[in-house]
Amino acid sequence: MTKPIIEVKDLAKNFGDNQVLKNISEQVNPGQVIVVIGPSGGGKSTFLRCLNLLETPTSGEVDFDGQNLTTLDTKKVNTLREQMGMVFQNFNLFPNMTVLENIKLAPMKVKNISDADATKRAHELLQQVNLDDHADAFPTSLSGGQAQRVAIARALAMDPKVMLFDEPTSALDPEMVGEVLNVMQDLAQQGMTMVVVTHEMGFAKSVADRVWFMADGYIQENNTPEEFFSNPQTERAQDFLSKILM
Amino acid sequence: MKNKLIMAIALVMALVAGWTATTTTAQAATDDSLAQVQKSGKLVMGTSPDYPPYEFQATVHGKSQVVGMDVAVGKKIAKDLGVKLVVKSMSFDSLLVALQTGKVDMVISGMNPTPARRKNVDFTHTYYQGGYSIVINKSDKGIYKDKDSFVGKTIGAQTGSTMYTESKKQTSGTTVKGMTSVSDLILGLQSHKLQGVAMEKPSAQAYVANNKELAMIPSNFDLSASDTSASVAFAKGSTSLVAAANKSVDQIRKQNLVNKTYLPAAGKYLKTNTVNTSMLHYWKAFLKGIEYTLIITVCSVFFGFILGVLLSLARMAQGGVFATALRWLATAYVEFIRGTPMMVQVMFVYFGLGLIVNLPALTSGIIAISLNSGAYIAEYIRGGINSVDKGQTEAARSLGMTKGYTLRYVVLPQALKNIWPSLGNEFITLIKDSSIVSIIGVSELIFQSNIVRSDTYRGVAPIAVIMVLYFIMTFTASRILNHFERKMQHD
Ligand SMILES: Nc1ncnc2c1ncn2[C@@H]1O[C@H](COP(=O)(O)OP(=O)(O)O)[C@@H](O)[C@H]1O
Ligand SMILES: [Mg+2]
Repeated sequence: MTKPIIEVKDLAKNFGDNQVLKNISEQVNPGQVIVVIGPSGGGKSTFLRCLNLLETPTSGEVDFDGQNLTTLDTKKVNTLREQMGMVFQNFNLFPNMTVLENIKLAPMKVKNISDADATKRAHELLQQVNLDDHADAFPTSLSGGQAQRVAIARALAMDPKVMLFDEPTSALDPEMVGEVLNVMQDLAQQGMTMVVVTHEMGFAKSVADRVWFMADGYIQENNTPEEFFSNPQTERAQDFLSKILM
Repeated sequence: MKNKLIMAIALVMALVAGWTATTTTAQAATDDSLAQVQKSGKLVMGTSPDYPPYEFQATVHGKSQVVGMDVAVGKKIAKDLGVKLVVKSMSFDSLLVALQTGKVDMVISGMNPTPARRKNVDFTHTYYQGGYSIVINKSDKGIYKDKDSFVGKTIGAQTGSTMYTESKKQTSGTTVKGMTSVSDLILGLQSHKLQGVAMEKPSAQAYVANNKELAMIPSNFDLSASDTSASVAFAKGSTSLVAAANKSVDQIRKQNLVNKTYLPAAGKYLKTNTVNTSMLHYWKAFLKGIEYTLIITVCSVFFGFILGVLLSLARMAQGGVFATALRWLATAYVEFIRGTPMMVQVMFVYFGLGLIVNLPALTSGIIAISLNSGAYIAEYIRGGINSVDKGQTEAARSLGMTKGYTLRYVVLPQALKNIWPSLGNEFITLIKDSSIVSIIGVSELIFQSNIVRSDTYRGVAPIAVIMVLYFIMTFTASRILNHFERKMQHD
């Protein structure tokens, strides 16, 4: 049996009196693609942000590569966090820097990689997402689909072991969703471990190894995509699927 | 202006009083004032150089310096003590505070040794016995005879001076208006806001001799000797220093040095001053003013900015008791600075901090204005940081960047771009507001213009000149700032 790269044990998160995550225990194995789906407000983003400790869990453990992140000091957390790339719904590109500078910043400042090496790597990544001709553009001049692909390249520049995606296509015009999903599919095929929160059921069906259905602060169901979509176990999931597949 | 200044001084005095109370009594017990001066090799004299012929600015060998009969008296005392004389200029109101806080060793500024002043400082014997006159417009000659002719009219006198107190006491039905500088009073007279100005006789003579439109009449005030005489003031309890100075003062009286030597010499300086009263002739004085104004502004914005960044970060500190304390302190500081007048802050730094470390006026001014502008800049920066989308921080943190790096490379650059116009405004405001340090004698533009005014006996022209100069500075600054603003808006 392979050792899980991410293991969550009894993870809980409260915002004041609001219990957003309630005792979640799950595992992600290396190379797996997990798609998290569920109704809005169910705690998906909070869960994802607890994985790289952007949000501090109220109780429970998040183990990454065998180390319990919740007990580590800030410095260690910073170094482990760089191994988990994250892509946001709103891209969050740095507007005061060019595309190339966006990608180079963290490798140069965090990993102390030389400008030349960082530039070379940035161009490779831009080619991978088909945007090398936009290297010197500023983010505001990009379309949503282009911006999100740059954001993916920026996260990849840190050579992460895991990529976390929080609704990467939700802010895009429909005609741009495809180009971003293609990049993600390529990544999955190259063996990247991914946790993807999305409403793109087609992507879940064709790319995911497991589907986690999340609602009311619990992972209600953890299943293969085939099983989940054809034969959902919980009433909550059946209800959700009937609404979105209508 | 006058009231604000007096209130400011009262506040500083009150703050300083508690502080000095203990030190002064200790000083009285063991008086080493004379030994201290001899050890340091210099005697620092405070004076308000807008009172010819007592003290005024004149250009000597191309350099502007303080001259007049009081300076001659100071030189004589210093020479007899075997030390060097250093002259420090400041407004008349500030002189006694400066003495009490050790900024100066003595004050010679045509000061009358009144009983009220004697409570706070020690005086030497009198070195000059003068009298009061009233300066009027020549066109009014014959209308006014003496102090009693001004019923229903207004006369002016220098704030904080004996003339001011006595004019109030000894006239009835006459309004007495106080102003800080004699040049302003003369201007008030010439623009008919005042009908007469009470001042010491030698000063009145100097003004009348140099301005054809003025005349003088006797005041006929009923005065005690202490009200019309001038003495040198020393800090309370410096008995040995007073005794030593008295030897010089006695010689001055015995040999009649003031009338024989000092006044004629001062008169010569007055003549050289008034030979050429065109503003162009004084370009050096104005240039020096601009230089100091810019030095103060640039330094204060620079240090204020650093302080502002630190304060704004402290105000946003989170987690732990230490962070809470830091946040509380920074908030209290910002509120306190924003809730007190800059003028009081300037005086507090100069006179108050001066008790611990002896800072030059320029340094004190820069410190005070930096401390002040830091509080304002902190609020701009805090607003700027809050205006940066939280997603930016999350993206940077998710890339493994530390809090510090995130702030430095991602948040602050964007925050600065957002608040650049506010920072620019602060800079331009400081060009104007830095003039407040003129009260502690820093030779910035306002201070310099006051000197030119008392040198030339011209009230309005220097004001017009500095108005234009200030505008040129602020206008140029705003053009430059705009240029950078546009450069930052690359997309
Ligand atoms: N920073 C926060 N402070 C307070 N409440 C929050 C915060 N972030 C999320 N929540 C709450 O947590 C719940 C789950 O939110 P979220 O994780 O964004 O759900 P999802 O991504 O599934 O839509 C919501 O009720 C939301 O209001
Ligand atoms: Mg969400």
